[in-house]
Formats: sequence, structure tokens, C-alpha cells
Amino acid sequence: MIQAKRYNPLLMLFQLFNLIKNSIFFVVFLFVIKAGSDSAFIKYGKVIFILAFVITFISIIIKWFTTKYAFDNKSFYLYKGIFSKSERSIPFSKIQNINRHTALFHRIFRVTSISFETGIKGENASVKFEVVSRIEADRMEAHLSSTVHVDLPSIQESDANMETFPHEEDDSKVNSIRVLHFKPTKKDTLKASFTSFSFLLLIPLIASLYFKINDIFHVEEEAEGVISEILNSWWLVFGIIIFLVIASAAFGIVSTYLKYGKYEISSDFDRIYITKGVINETSFSISKEKVQAIEIKQSTLKRVFGLAEVKLTSAGGLGSEEDKHEINSLYPYLPIRRAYEIVSDILPTYEVTEKMDRLPKKSLWVRLLWPSWIWIITTAVLYYFKPAILNVEKAWWIISACLFVIIGVTRLLDFYNTRYVLNDRFVQFKKGSLTTTLFVSKREKVIEVRVSRNIIQKLLGLASIKTINRAKPVYHAGIEDVPQELANVFYKWYKGRKNEIKLE
Amino acid sequence: MNSHILSPQNQLSKKAVKVWIISEVIENVIGFIVLGVLFYLDYLFSWKEWIGWILIGVASISVLFAVWSFIRPFLLYKTWRYAVDEEFLQLKYGALIEKHQLIPMTKIQSVATNQGPLLRRYDLYTVSIETMASTHTIPALPKETAVELRNQIAQFAKVKEVES
Repeated sequence: MIQAKRYNPLLMLFQLFNLIKNSIFFVVFLFVIKAGSDSAFIKYGKVIFILAFVITFISIIIKWFTTKYAFDNKSFYLYKGIFSKSERSIPFSKIQNINRHTALFHRIFRVTSISFETGIKGENASVKFEVVSRIEADRMEAHLSSTVHVDLPSIQESDANMETFPHEEDDSKVNSIRVLHFKPTKKDTLKASFTSFSFLLLIPLIASLYFKINDIFHVEEEAEGVISEILNSWWLVFGIIIFLVIASAAFGIVSTYLKYGKYEISSDFDRIYITKGVINETSFSISKEKVQAIEIKQSTLKRVFGLAEVKLTSAGGLGSEEDKHEINSLYPYLPIRRAYEIVSDILPTYEVTEKMDRLPKKSLWVRLLWPSWIWIITTAVLYYFKPAILNVEKAWWIISACLFVIIGVTRLLDFYNTRYVLNDRFVQFKKGSLTTTLFVSKREKVIEVRVSRNIIQKLLGLASIKTINRAKPVYHAGIEDVPQELANVFYKWYKGRKNEIKLE
Repeated sequence: MNSHILSPQNQLSKKAVKVWIISEVIENVIGFIVLGVLFYLDYLFSWKEWIGWILIGVASISVLFAVWSFIRPFLLYKTWRYAVDEEFLQLKYGALIEKHQLIPMTKIQSVATNQGPLLRRYDLYTVSIETMASTHTIPALPKETAVELRNQIAQFAKVKEVES
């Protein structure tokens, strides 16, 4: 058994920092805004606040002295408590993915935070180190990946022009070289900034700034003369417009760069690493065989530009940071060809088949004729109230008709975008009207399947199929109105999963 | 119609229909009593007009559901099938929408038999099976069948896949 260690002492500082950050609101409210108030509510509020602050402060220190951690070749061991002691061990094999987050605080002290996520439900789902030295974090991550998969056969990677990934402070424990698969070039960042419409972000920013300044300085009245003068000279107007266009484009590019600029997708023989962020650095790493499914998402605009977002589904949590939705995403603006290449590079056991089957014509009729509850309810409500919008008395039926057309078109688009294919070991579903999602998973990763048929589907020989995969929360994927024969094949296909699974 | 998906064979206890109907009757009676009280209060305190309309709406929908709740148990009993083998738990049910579910034994986390007061009266048990994804229940099985099924599933579910 390895000697248990205390957490990094900077953890106390970090928690104190968070405590102060969270109490700023109360301080301002109790001691600045309501400073002179005599009401009992405020008086007691102050007392309670100070008490809570002191107690939390003390508990931070006590907690640090009473919690310890250790790890050996198999598991993490976490110890905590003064009177009622608890000891928790988390086997490495249960860890699904590793998230790292380096916020500004961590940067200042040259530390990082790392969390090992398991697929367990509830609050004890992760082993989290909110402050840990980078060396220790690297050591833990390398230790974990080298001990778990040491007995696996190495997977041959076949890419001639691979660069080796220079990794800081990593010792010889990493048993294979990291390969860099993607790093956005200037062109990628430019494309990303235009596809994400990030240049439009400047408009609300300027507007809110303007209104704030206007509140204080009353610009509107004073500038009246100036504005009319400006409007009189066309070249000045022209100049201002050009300036605004350039400024917003630059702003968009900078904000995109800050978000997606330092993106890196790399992998070694058993793990995939995604790192991103210029100021707040986050990184996500997952063992290749723990990838539950792949999702390839394309919005209309991305389809026009030939870009796509690839997401790796993990059974572990993705952290509670605001960018949790994107942490598991390979670069969200990957050129589609490149996306397929990267997937086959980093996940050699996955295959993405590009040729897929379409739905039969009769499913289009089912979908078009199926009553739309949204439309029915909206129309009923509109009919009842008959609101006159913009002085148009007949507005209610115009809205209803528009909604009807929109729903029809979305259904039509969804029908044309829907594709599916069942391969030997893989299942692939693609659907969506404006934004399409392609879902790819392996038979052994699907934990449950469902087939259902409503009355109309029964009459037309159609069915709906559904797969469930591990994720947090569990991931449902499926296709409605496939031919009955396919549903039968699908059922049998899933029964064949015994060919792939290994029993303990 | 569904000849290719091999329908599982085992059925629920015949008493299921009776139990379901009784419980539906109880629920409906309670529901209508509550509605009746609300109507009376509405009349007594002359509540706003729209409340009355909502009550009428709720009442008419409840009547429709009450009628349906007497047909549904028969259809549900007719369609409910389940099967267990070493690899899969297979369920098929649905009065209006026919549902087939295929659950690998290795993904089952727990299995339990439950019994409410109504089921106890008829000596029936519900078997509930928890997986990573959801909880499945096989309602209204005779005691011996339920216990046997539970033990069997527990036995089969002991086998674990190499979790990767």
C-alpha cells in the first residue's frame, strides 16, 4: 500500500478564493447597499453571513487536514472524515474519461485541476482534484493509462506523416508516443469564425455598452447634432460602416481564436486526447475502447461549407464547467473529409460507412399525415383568442398556416436526411431536418434495443427502432418508420452481440 | 405480421386483468370523487367562469380515460409476453403501441419482486429489473413463477462482460 498523501495546499487558497467570489454578492448587498438599514432582517442577515463565512473558512482548513488520497496499480483510495471516517476506493477500470481544466487561478500558480470520471450514478461519480500540480496530474494520468491497458495488444497506426507530440514533463511511463492528428490552421480558425457567426457578437456587445454609457452621460441628446452632421457626409458614413465591418470581423476571429484556437487532437496507442482553450485550458482524454459512440453533427451552414463536428460519447461525466457540451468534441469545425480521416485514425476499430439506406416512400406519408400536436394546440389557442398582430385581424390563421408549412417542410427535410445502415458490427443512424446528426456505435456498446409499432405503422408494415448507449445521461438513438423487415433484422443483429463480447 | 421477431411465449397470470381493473376502478372512483368535490365547491363559492370550463374539460377527458381503462387491461394482457434465456431478457407488450425490448443479461444490475396490497390479495408479484438504462417491470406474475424468474435472472445476470 502506498503512503496516502494530503491534497495540494493551494487547494485551500483555491477554495477560499471561491468562497470570496461567492460571497461578494452578499457583501455588497448586506454591507454596501443596505449598510444603513436598521431592519432586523438585515441585522440578522449580517450575523448569519459572517457566521457562515467563518464556518466555511474553518471547514476548508479542517477538510484539507483530514482528507487524503493514494493510488496503487489498480485503484484510487480516498480517505476523509474526522469522527466518522470514510474510505473509498475507485478501480481504474471503472474510470471512463479524464477531464482537466486549467482556469486563470491555476495558471497563476502553475497548477491544474483534474477529474477522473466514472460511469457510476450519483455524486461520488468522480475522483476530483481541484488543485494539483501539473507534474502530479501528468503522473496520475500516465500511471492510469499505463497500468490499465498494459496487457492489450498494440494497435498499429498507419499514418506516414504523423508528427510526434511533444509532451511536457511526461516520463517514460507513457508506453507509446503521442501522435498529433489535428491542430487548426489560420484558415480553419477563419472558417470557424464565419460559420459560427461570431462576428455578429460585436453588435449586442456594442449595443449594451452604448445603453450603459447613455444611462450615465446622456449621449443621445448631446450627440444629436453630431449624428446629423455625420449622416450628411456620405464618405464618413461609408468609413464608419467599413470600420464596423472590419472591427466585428476582427472581434469574431479573436473570440473564435480564444475558444478554438489552441485545439489539439492527439492520441497514443490506447487513449485519445483533446485539448483546447487559450486562457482557460480544458482537456479531455478517453481510452479508445471506452468510446461508447460517435456523433457527427452538421448544421445547415456547416453543410454548405463542408464542415462537421465530431463528438465522442463517454459513459463518464463531462464536468460541470459551462463548456461541458463541447469538451468531448473533436474540433467543432472540422472539414468533413478530415473528420472521417481522423475518426479512422484515432479509432481504428470504428468504421464509418458513407453509403447508407434511405427510408421507403410510405414512411414519408406516415410522417406527413401524422397529426402535429404543436400545430393543433397552437391553432386552437389562436382560434380562441384571435389576436390581432400588427393590426392584421386575420393574423391568427396566417400564423397557423405558416406553422403548418414550416412543420411540413421540417418533416420533409427530416425524411430526406434520414439514413440508416446496419453493418456486421456497427449501427449507423442519420437524421435531422436543419441540423443533421450521424450516430455510429458498435453492437457491443449498445446496452439495450427497442422496436415499437403503433397502429398506423402496423398497417403499413413499418416500425421504429431504438438503441440505448451508456452516457451521462444514457443516450437514446433511433429511427422512426423503417420497414418492418429492417426492424426484424435489427433485432436479430443485436442478438448476435454475443460474438463480440468477452465474458469475465 | 411480426413473424420475424420471434415473439416470446410466457404470459402473465390471468388474474392480471382482474387486478388491473380493480385498481383502475379504485383510481377512477377517487378521481371522480375529487372532481365531484371540486364541482360542488365551484357551485358553492361561484368560482370564476373559466375554472368551471376547465373542470368540465377535465371531467369529459376523465370519462374517456375511464372507458379506456376498462378496455386496456384486456389488450395489455393479450399482448404481454416475456422470455428469459442465458443471454437476453425479452419483453413484448403494449395495448396500442406494440413494443419489443431486448436486454442483455450482462447489463442487468438488479432484479426484485414487489407486491402491493392488491397484488397480495391475489397472490401475485411484480418483477422489476433494473439496468443501466432504465427499470423494466413484468407485472402480475403468480408467486412461484415470479420467484423462479427472479432467481433465474439473478443467476444469468451474474455473468459480467469485460467492461471496456
